[in-house]
Amino acid sequence: MAAGWIETVTGSFEDKKRWRQYKARKQNLPQNYRTAIDGLERYFMYAGAIVKGDIMMQMMEDLLDLIEQAAADATPIRDIVGDNPVEFAEAFLLNYEDGRWVNKERKRLTDSIDKAVSES
Amino acid sequence: MAKQISEMLKGTLDGIVLAILADRPAYGYEITSQLRDHGFSDIVEGTIYALLVRIEQRGFVDVAKVPSEKGPPRKVYTLNAKGREYLDEFWTTWSFLSERIEELRNTSSHLDGEGK
Repeated sequence: MAAGWIETVTGSFEDKKRWRQYKARKQNLPQNYRTAIDGLERYFMYAGAIVKGDIMMQMMEDLLDLIEQAAADATPIRDIVGDNPVEFAEAFLLNYEDGRWVNKERKRLTDSIDKAVSES
Repeated sequence: MAKQISEMLKGTLDGIVLAILADRPAYGYEITSQLRDHGFSDIVEGTIYALLVRIEQRGFVDVAKVPSEKGPPRKVYTLNAKGREYLDEFWTTWSFLSERIEELRNTSSHLDGEGK
């Protein structure tokens, strides 16, 4: 398929479409919930180091599901993320380990130790 | 105490939530408020949501989207066979752990007594 090599250059079309839909849904949130989700989004981008586009999109959509529901129920932001938002963000990120950059290094470490054991 | 309890809860909250779902299916907010009723008052919705994402990924629950009067559809979580199996294992592990810890406490308080 022609899409094959084009997508290796541009990134997945499907992920781009999901990202645009995510952005559009976010626009409909009340301002304070949007501020909260923007903050979490930024943290996930930096601290998450998620390199797989589809996993990152899944994560952002899951987050949006939570925030949209909270906005509809008028749940206070503190009741969603608690006193320590970093703790919440880290717990959330753990679910998407498969997409994280560090995974490659974890595999490399495991392989090195396996190799070391087989050499002894 | 708040810090220590949140640390200790980390390993057991999955089991606690599955135990609540064993009773009947529920959606996120219901689960959080039931936890509060059971005395876990400091637990926030986000933590429970992250946990629900996890147990769904691990295949312990079935998820149905149910329309709600206001806002987006609610995700209702139902414990399935795999989740039940995990819950059984959780209770076994929990009994083991609490027995050992209790034993440890009795031994050490016994020693404390002798020291005086």
